[in-house]
Amino acid sequence: MTDATPTATGRRPFALRHPSVIVVVAALALFTCVVTLLSEAYGTGAISTSFVKTLGKTLCLCLAALAMDLVWGYCGILSLGHMAFFGLGGYAIGMWLMYARTHLIVVGSLSGQALPATPEEIRDGIAAQIFGVVGGADFPAIWSVAHSLPLQLAAVVLVPGLLALVFGWLAFRSRVTGVYLSILTQAMTLALSLYLFQNDSGLRGNNGLSGLQNLPGTSQPQSVTSMWFFWASALALGLGYVLCAWIVSGKFGSVIRAVRDDETRVRFLGYPVEGFKLFVFTLTAVICGIAGALYYPQAGIINPAEMAPIASIYLAVWVAIGGRGRLYGAVIGAAVVALLSTWFTGGQAPDLPLGIYTVRWIDWWTVFLGLGFVLITLYAPDGLGGLVDRIVRVRRSDRDGAELSSGPGARAIRKAGR
Amino acid sequence: MFRRLILALVIAAGPLTAQDGPAPIQELLQEQGALIAESSRRTIGPAIDALAASGLPEARQVLERWQERELYREEETGRFAFGVEVDRDTLRLVEIATGRDIGEVSGDGWEEMRPNAGIRGLIAAALVRFQLSDPDPATRREALRAIERGPEESHLAVLRDALPQENLPALRSQGERLERLLTVRFGSTVEERVAAIESFAGDTSVDVRAALNPLVATRLSVSEGVPEGDDIARVVRPGSEALPRTSAYELLVDEGLAPMRLTRSAKRDALVANIENGFVGGYRVAELGTEDARNAAYRELVAEGSAESAIPEEEIDRILDRFGFAERYVASPAPVALAAKRILDGLDARLGMMRLADLALDGLSLASIYFLAAIGLAVTFGVMGVINMAHGEFIMMGAYTAYLVQRVVADYAWSLVVALPLAFAVTFAAGVALERLVIRHLYHRPLETLLATFGISIALQQLAKNVFGTQARPLTAPGWLDGSLVFNDVVAISYIRIAILVLALVFLALFLVLMKHTRLGLEVRAVTQSPRMAGAVGINPDRINMLTFGLGSGIAGIAGVAIGLYAQVTSEMGQAYIVQSFMTVVVGGVGNIWGTLLGATLVGFLQKGIEWANPSNTLAAQTWMILFIILFIQVRPRGIVALRGRAAEA
Repeated sequence: MTDATPTATGRRPFALRHPSVIVVVAALALFTCVVTLLSEAYGTGAISTSFVKTLGKTLCLCLAALAMDLVWGYCGILSLGHMAFFGLGGYAIGMWLMYARTHLIVVGSLSGQALPATPEEIRDGIAAQIFGVVGGADFPAIWSVAHSLPLQLAAVVLVPGLLALVFGWLAFRSRVTGVYLSILTQAMTLALSLYLFQNDSGLRGNNGLSGLQNLPGTSQPQSVTSMWFFWASALALGLGYVLCAWIVSGKFGSVIRAVRDDETRVRFLGYPVEGFKLFVFTLTAVICGIAGALYYPQAGIINPAEMAPIASIYLAVWVAIGGRGRLYGAVIGAAVVALLSTWFTGGQAPDLPLGIYTVRWIDWWTVFLGLGFVLITLYAPDGLGGLVDRIVRVRRSDRDGAELSSGPGARAIRKAGR
Repeated sequence: MFRRLILALVIAAGPLTAQDGPAPIQELLQEQGALIAESSRRTIGPAIDALAASGLPEARQVLERWQERELYREEETGRFAFGVEVDRDTLRLVEIATGRDIGEVSGDGWEEMRPNAGIRGLIAAALVRFQLSDPDPATRREALRAIERGPEESHLAVLRDALPQENLPALRSQGERLERLLTVRFGSTVEERVAAIESFAGDTSVDVRAALNPLVATRLSVSEGVPEGDDIARVVRPGSEALPRTSAYELLVDEGLAPMRLTRSAKRDALVANIENGFVGGYRVAELGTEDARNAAYRELVAEGSAESAIPEEEIDRILDRFGFAERYVASPAPVALAAKRILDGLDARLGMMRLADLALDGLSLASIYFLAAIGLAVTFGVMGVINMAHGEFIMMGAYTAYLVQRVVADYAWSLVVALPLAFAVTFAAGVALERLVIRHLYHRPLETLLATFGISIALQQLAKNVFGTQARPLTAPGWLDGSLVFNDVVAISYIRIAILVLALVFLALFLVLMKHTRLGLEVRAVTQSPRMAGAVGINPDRINMLTFGLGSGIAGIAGVAIGLYAQVTSEMGQAYIVQSFMTVVVGGVGNIWGTLLGATLVGFLQKGIEWANPSNTLAAQTWMILFIILFIQVRPRGIVALRGRAAEA
């Protein structure tokens, strides 16, 4: 992609202007096919079901990282709360999964009785099963639509979306920016996870929701359902990638990049900066919610610890390592770091004997990750994505001027040159 | 005293001995002999009362030695004597009335009177009357204390008799107060008790509350229609929080005012028991899939007489409406209870004020901790516009330094003296290293500084886990910091918290001096306002940044020592404070120590206040506090003390 004149790019089809879309979608399709052919359910069985789940979960994390890249790498909002939206999506779908499965169990156990079960008996039985662990026997109000899959699916989108909308509106309208905003999103995440840790939050406190890997209404084994979720995750990632690429490609993308580089100037040019930021913040929250709704049925369990602020910071770390300001960077970063983390902390990595001291990766992986992350921030701000850029030799932007996106940024350069 | 008494008696009685006819005390004891020997708490009362009220000079000694298990009875004659065991089966006996040594006898014929704990308590209560008129003030004080500990109805009269003779003002006022307390509980007339109760208006001590609270005890009672009577404490409605529907209905059932409640399971069991050929009460079994159908079938069963009459869930409310529920005073006559209630309500207001004071102390101490934890953060953020996510780990580093020092220096006080500067030095060095190696390169990218320091944070945290393990390490405070400063029953604060408060104040003072009266402070302020201008007048902003960052980190180390003293030292301890520290900085506004102070005060008091409003749930308190802060930012986006002018743009 050497041609960079605006008039020419305006006419060429969307996919051609963004070859990375074609590459990523093709790679994703190929990857999905390979995994399917090697899976236990539909292929040779070379890949175990649990590894299929790991791969599927990684795809969901990539989708979340994509959203993070959109909000941070393109719009300049370092949100330390997007994993909270991810968790909310997981809780929303988890409520239905848990309700529906418990419903089946309770109906099954009541069917042996002399009298046919009444709706009240079934409801009480489900409530006792689900909330017995926190000493409750009644459904809290937030479970009132848990029986309905469409409504809970709507909640996957609406709950994170509305929270992001309200929070974003409050934060952006009072012109909270930069580090302040990051701290505030972190506080929001902490508040949410602390709230969910309570037993009377209605979501089973620190027990969280469990048994989510069982898909009610099907008798297929785990090896099959895990493939379904894998396909759904791959599809979601593919669609998410196209959507994000489309958003950042047009005029809208130029405006949000401009907001990132110099918010005040964009405001003086007459753009409603708050509206743009709010839209991106809310949209990415919804994407994260969907990613979470696909992730947790594969993980099988969700609890408030997953929503702790540190999870959201890790999300930022993946994007930074992958190279922000490039969508494929986010995908690469999330995939590489998440898989490496699984490998190193899962106990499979061989210990490293150094003579006097044996490095056990379970203990030391986090140390190296932290230090490595510092080194990448310092010396390779473009991350792994920058490596791809160098190989493919693309100019990263259709805009004139110096290095943009994740580098020091136009504003910093201007400051330094002033 | 009674030795002299006995001596006088012996002299008066002269050669009189037991053989010459039993002394009055011996007669009395033998009269009550059967009861005394039976040693049952239920029946012993009259015997003790007879002894205490006899007016005999030996009575006190008999009671005391009985309590000590030194009273013996000859099994054949029923004669009593004092005795001491010499060995397993030999006793040394002493005549009761005369104090004459009878000599050592075989223990076979003599039975030891063994008062159990309950009887000993009764004896002690009876002894009080003797002790109250004892010439030794210490004994009298002890007697008053005994009454305080276990007040009895009989004490009232005894105390009233003894008080006029009391000549020590302190004991007299104590006795009078005790007399009023006893009157509250045991006074013979209602007027007397009400007067005594009212004399305690405004007295918040624990014993007054302990005397008054039982008087206002209530019991839930039910009546048809609206509850009436002057003994009603309050009317409760079924379905309210104080009286759930089910408990209200259970009360009706217990009182025999309503038939049994038909629970779902009871209904189901009754229906199942009456299934005949697939039918129950005229309904097909397959039809009974709703509660309405089951109710109808059950009614049929009741009509047939094969099930007990019972009220299904749905009709409970209708029945409950017919009755009124009220809590009535049961422990005392209504005027007494109402007076006690009035005084207690008055006390509540005062107690509320005191609790508020206690809460304020708690808030102050929490604020001082947040201040210590946040001040370093505020400095680096204010001067350099950099958020140090590893700040919490510097706190942890300081705490572990103190822990290591404590392992070397055994004396807790000295180890603290060594640890404070050492923790400062260690974290100062770590801060300078971090600034030189990482942050210096990221000055124009504040968001990336945040992430890079986060990388440092997770690396340091895991490193601490690898080195020190995951279990908590204790950091022991010196002995003179144990315990609390107690103002009264409600208001108290532990010395460690006072020490932390003092430490925070010291740092506030030090910091103000450093900033306003030293060259370094001047340069720091200059760099805060405009690094380029500061550079132009010959200040090296690089050096100032480095020193500032080191200083902020060093204070975090000191805060770590302070926090480690009352919480435990773990690799994750910094995390517990980091978000609150951020909140403090954000609320307070950057670049101004007074802002940090105000922010810490607000956050500390707010957290304690919310915990007080919702004491059962500290997690919820944190959630509410963070929500409040998010809303607070709406009102003052740049914090309480906001920098104005160009500095605010950075």
